[in-house]
Parts: sequence; C-alpha cells; structure tokens
Amino acid sequence: MNPILVLVRKDVTLFLKDRASLVLTFVVPFVLIYIFGQVFGVNQTDKGPSGIPVAVVNQSDNPAAARLVEALKGETAFKVLTQYVNDDKTTRPLREEDLVPMMRDDDFRFALVIPADVVQSSTIGIHLKAYSNPRNAIEAQTVNGLLQKTIFTHVPELLGESLRARALDYLGQERIDRFDAAIADAVSRAFGGDREEILKDIHNGAYGIGSRRPATAGSSSPSPSDVLSRVIHLDNVQVVGKDVKSPEATMLVGGWAIQFLLFALTASATALFRERDAGIFQRVLSAPVTRRDILLSKFLYGILLGLVQLVVLFFAGHLLYGIEVLPYLAPLVLVCVFAAAACTGFGMLIAAVSPTPEAARGIATFVILVMCALGGAWFPVSFMSAFIQKFSRLTVVYWSMEGFSRVLWSHASLAELGPTLGILALMAALTMGVSVWLFNRGNIFD
Amino acid sequence: MTAPAALISARGVVKRYGPLTALDGVSLDIAPGEFFGLLGPNGAGKSTFMSLVAGLRPVDGGTLTVDGAGVSAGSRAAREALGLVPQHIALYADLGAETNLRIFGELYGLRGRELRSRIGEVLEAVQLADRRKDLVKHFSGGMQRRLNLAAALLHRPKLLLCDEPTVGVDPQSRNAIFEFLQELNRGGLTVIYSTHYMEEATRLCSRVAIIDHGQILALGTIDELLARLPFEEEVRFPANEATQALLGELEGHGELAVKEGVARFRPRTDYPLSRFYGLTEGRGLSARLFTSQRPTLEALFLQLTGRNLRE
Repeated sequence: MNPILVLVRKDVTLFLKDRASLVLTFVVPFVLIYIFGQVFGVNQTDKGPSGIPVAVVNQSDNPAAARLVEALKGETAFKVLTQYVNDDKTTRPLREEDLVPMMRDDDFRFALVIPADVVQSSTIGIHLKAYSNPRNAIEAQTVNGLLQKTIFTHVPELLGESLRARALDYLGQERIDRFDAAIADAVSRAFGGDREEILKDIHNGAYGIGSRRPATAGSSSPSPSDVLSRVIHLDNVQVVGKDVKSPEATMLVGGWAIQFLLFALTASATALFRERDAGIFQRVLSAPVTRRDILLSKFLYGILLGLVQLVVLFFAGHLLYGIEVLPYLAPLVLVCVFAAAACTGFGMLIAAVSPTPEAARGIATFVILVMCALGGAWFPVSFMSAFIQKFSRLTVVYWSMEGFSRVLWSHASLAELGPTLGILALMAALTMGVSVWLFNRGNIFD
Repeated sequence: MTAPAALISARGVVKRYGPLTALDGVSLDIAPGEFFGLLGPNGAGKSTFMSLVAGLRPVDGGTLTVDGAGVSAGSRAAREALGLVPQHIALYADLGAETNLRIFGELYGLRGRELRSRIGEVLEAVQLADRRKDLVKHFSGGMQRRLNLAAALLHRPKLLLCDEPTVGVDPQSRNAIFEFLQELNRGGLTVIYSTHYMEEATRLCSRVAIIDHGQILALGTIDELLARLPFEEEVRFPANEATQALLGELEGHGELAVKEGVARFRPRTDYPLSRFYGLTEGRGLSARLFTSQRPTLEALFLQLTGRNLRE
C-alpha cells in the first residue's frame, strides 16, 4: 500500500481509539445544535424568546389600557408580572415605586408603567413609561422591539380615546355627542353599516387610525409607525447601568472571562495526571503529606491562578475598551475568587471522573461548551426555553457571569453580592467534595 | 547478645487490587543497617511491598511496622524515617535540580540554612553540584536517576526504599549509584532495594527475599540462598559432535540441559568436578571448550519457579 495511505489509515485508527475525539466529533455537535435550535426556535411553533419577565404597572382605569396589559400577557416572549408578593406570601398589585428596588435585585429587567394620565386631554397622544436594566444588549433590543410592537398594535384605540378627550375638553359633552351622532349618520349614509354600531365605535375612540395602509416604497409619506411614534410619549428610565462607561464591553466581558477561566483551570486540574504518571505523587505521599493536602493545594493554586488571570483580563478590558474596574476592585476581586473557586472545583471534578488526561480534555471541552451555551456566555438565558433555563442556573458560567455583571454593571454592594457568592461557594464546595471522594476511590494517587 | 529490633517487620501482609492478590501473606524482618534486596520478576509484588512500607497504601491483611509504628496509620514520624526512590523519575522536569530538591526538602520540613546545606551535600554526593541550576529535562537518564536518589536523602532518612532505581541507566551511572548506596549503607542507612536484576541483588544486598506472585519464595543471605541449590557449580560447553559422547556419560550425575547448541551441566553434590574434568581429558577435549561458574540467584529462581527472572 502507498505509504501515504498507510499513514492516513494509522491516523484514522488512532482517532477511532480516542474516545475523547469521538465524543467531540460525534456527540458535541448534536448537543450544541440542539441547544442553538432551542434558542432560535428551530422547528418550533413559537419561535423566539419566551418567558422574559416584564413587570407591568397599570395605573389607568381606561379599558384600553387594561386591554394593552392583556395583550402583553398574550405575548409569548413575555412573562408579565403584575403582582407584588409580600413577605407573608399575600399579593397586591405592583406599584411604580416597587420597580426600581426589584430591578436592582434582578427580579426582572424590564417594566412598563401605564400611568393614570395615559390619555391626556391637554395634548394629543398617549403617555407611557418604560423601565429597563439593559445589561444584555441582545435581550434589551429584543424586549424593546416586542414591547413597541405590542404597544403600537393597541395604540390606535388609546389614541382615539386621546382625541376624544381633547375634543371633549374644547367642545363639551353635548356638542361632542351631537358631533358623534352627525359623524355616525354621515358614515352610515356614505359607506353603509349600522349607525348605532358606528356610534359605539366612535365613543370607544376607534377611528381606524391603525388600519391606515402603509406608505409605499419611495413615498415621502410617513409610515404608520412614524406617525405612532410621534404621538406616543414613552419615557424611558434606565434603572441599572446608566452610569456605566463602555456599556457594550462591560456587558460582554463576563462571558469572555468565564470561558477563558474554565479552559485554563481545567487544563490546570488535568496536570494531576502528569504528576501521577511521573510518579511524583508517590514521592510526595511518602513524605509527611496527605492526599487531602495535595488536593487542597491544587484547589488553592487554581483559585490563585484564576484570580490572577481574571484580574489581568479585566485590566486588559479596562485598558483596551475602557471597562471601569478600579472603582469596583474589591467586590470584583471577591467575585473573581469565588468564580475561580467554582471553576477550579469544576476542573477537579472533570479530572476526577476522567480515566486519562486525553479523556479529561475531551470531557472538559464538551462540558465547557455546553455550559457556556446554557449559562448565557453566548446568548441571553432568557432566550432559552423554560426547561433549558432550569439547567442554566446549575452552571458555573451562569452564576459567575451574574457575579461579574452585578459588580461591573449594577455596581452591587457586598451585601447584594452575597447570594451569588454563596451559590458559587456552594458549587465550589460540592464539586471539590465529590472530586476528593472520587480521587480517593480512583487511581490518581497509585 | 540479642539481635537488634527489626526496623521493618511484616507478618502475613496481604494486599489486594480488586480480584488480584498482589501480596499474599508476606512475612519478613529487616534489621537496622541491612542492605536488603527484593528480587523478583515484573509483577511479582516488589513495588507493592515498597508502597506499603512507604505508607502509600493500606495493608489489607496482616501487620506491617516501620521502627515499631504501623505505617498504614501514616504517622509523621514513620514518614520522616524513610526516603523513597520511586521507579519513575519523580521530578519536575521543567524545574532546575536545586529547585526540585528545595521543594522535596521543604515537604519534610527543612528550611533556610539547613535546607541549603543539605541540598549542597546531596548534589555533591551524586556528582551534580555543577549542574544544580540546570533544568532536569536537560539531564541525561543517569543524571536524572542520581537526582531522583538525592531527593530521597535530603531529610536524612533511617530507611531508604529504592524501587528499581537503575532502570534504563547506563553502566557508568549504575555503578556510581551502586557505590553511593553502598557508602550510605556503610554509614548506617538501612536500604531496601527491589530489582529484577540478580546481578544487582548479588552485588549490593546482604540479604535477599526472592518474591514471585506476591509470595516470598526464599529469604536469606546470598550464600544461604545459593546453598539451597542441589549443585555448587555449573559447567557450560558446546553441544556438538565432539561432545556428544560426553553428554551421554554425564546423564544421571546431575542436571543436564541443552539449549541453542549450549550444554549446561550442574553436577550433583556427590559428583566432584574432578571426575568431570577427568572424563573430558580422557576424551581429548580441550579445556578451552568448558567454562564453569558458581550458581546464581537466577538459577535459584529457575529452580524455585521453573521460570527465568526476566520472563
């Protein structure tokens, strides 16, 4: 046989004997494609994101406002929250003053307030208020787009109300009633239809504004959305992150950092195999050193290495993209320590379950990619199905990014960071606990 | 005068790895200052015994004590009393010789001036003082082996466990290691030396245990072990037409085997070699055809197991 073919066959044989390569080649693509498919709604009836929490406070008694709330509830992308849960588990309608603290606690990142004066008699148009925490650019743009779509769909009704209110202010009820009756008569005569039904529509403000045909291409006439945007007064309030310099980089840096950290620390943990194969553990363990000492030293080294790498990475982000690091150095270092601990624990667990360094590298690549996809390092967690989102919250990636975001985006205090740090510490403790148990049962120290 | 208390005492020691019994009721005593050999083929249980003495694994049955203390308890005193020279080059190849020694010395609690002084001494002893800053990966195999040995001596152990420490070493380095170990032993250090080279055991060890399939087959000084053979000498000569008749006459007077054209005759103890050489002279066979040698541990192993040491 041709030597080239012999060598090719040799490589194929080696590949087929390498389980890690087989997993990376044949399993990882299936899993990643499945996750991407879930995110982008491939072959699903309801495409796009679902269940993004949006708080809605309706202060208006206008029936059209209530219908807008119902329309938002019907939007599958949103999970509309209208109730505040008290400490005793009783509920009451959300109030506008609840929104900012709840958004700072990350209970939700978007809110819409329909004020009592949604329809004003002093001006033509409607007035709405939107609160946001746009810590993820993709999520924020998507939510804003969907909110606008839903509002614009229901605005004509409210706009009719607005026109009537303004006319009422000028003309008084009697003249308005006569005007409405005259209009209903004229429409009925000119276009047919039941006069009473037309009159009822007019009373409800249904002037058919939203049914106007869109402007043709090249036309200078404004499109319906242009018209609507001029008559909708939407006050935007950015609750969190408005003072952040270089917001785009700040939003992204957590995802970069955690991927970097996971790969680095997993590689570090798999160095255990090298030391075992070199017989170094035999020598070390014959000294007054225990297995626990070795594993604990690896854990501490992982934290130290991770901390240094993260600090360097954030400073690189600061120097290259202007991410603000120095004012939040203490909480950032704290999150870095806990994230590094959790990632080290994860790396140790991978090493503990893997029979060989090659297998460890394969498993690590697979699990890291899946965790990054699920944990929100590539796209917002809120874009995934509720089922997948449950797994997101089990990943080191999710909670590490949460920690970085809370420091750099929300400028959270140490107390506010507590729960996130607690979860990272718990993850570190669990993964290390299981790793130590597995290492003591396995052959890493033989 | 009473015999000194055993530094190592094993009584019915058993070690299992799943279904495999690696050590099956090993009993032996090693006195302080002995140079004790564990001789056996690969997989005989030598390294397992070493690892039990070093406290790397617990025993599954029997008792094993080092200096009177149970080693499986992993007491600090027991661990400080011994130095292990693993079969592998258990060093950090990307670090320098001195840095490696500093790490291992610190694990034994050596610090500061004492550590620096010990590093200097052991590097001098293994003739690597002038290479102290060099990376281990740039050392030859023999130099790495010598440093591997030096790392086990930093803390002045009472007992040195050498697990096949000359595997893959050139003859010159091997000789240097042997001389160094003998010097240490003369200085009072107890050495347990495992090997599958009978020449090493014969040269170095005052007592040897022959081990196979996890059991001690024979134990004693070299002379005691060789005395167990039913012959005192082995004569080899070419098995050809000229010696054909001689072969026939030797039958019944000892062990006679012909392999690959070489005849090997091990006379019974009641058959003096003078009679053998009388026969050869009578047949006009030149004395240059015959070589004789004293029996070896290899022969004993063959006698005990029916296999060669390196099979």
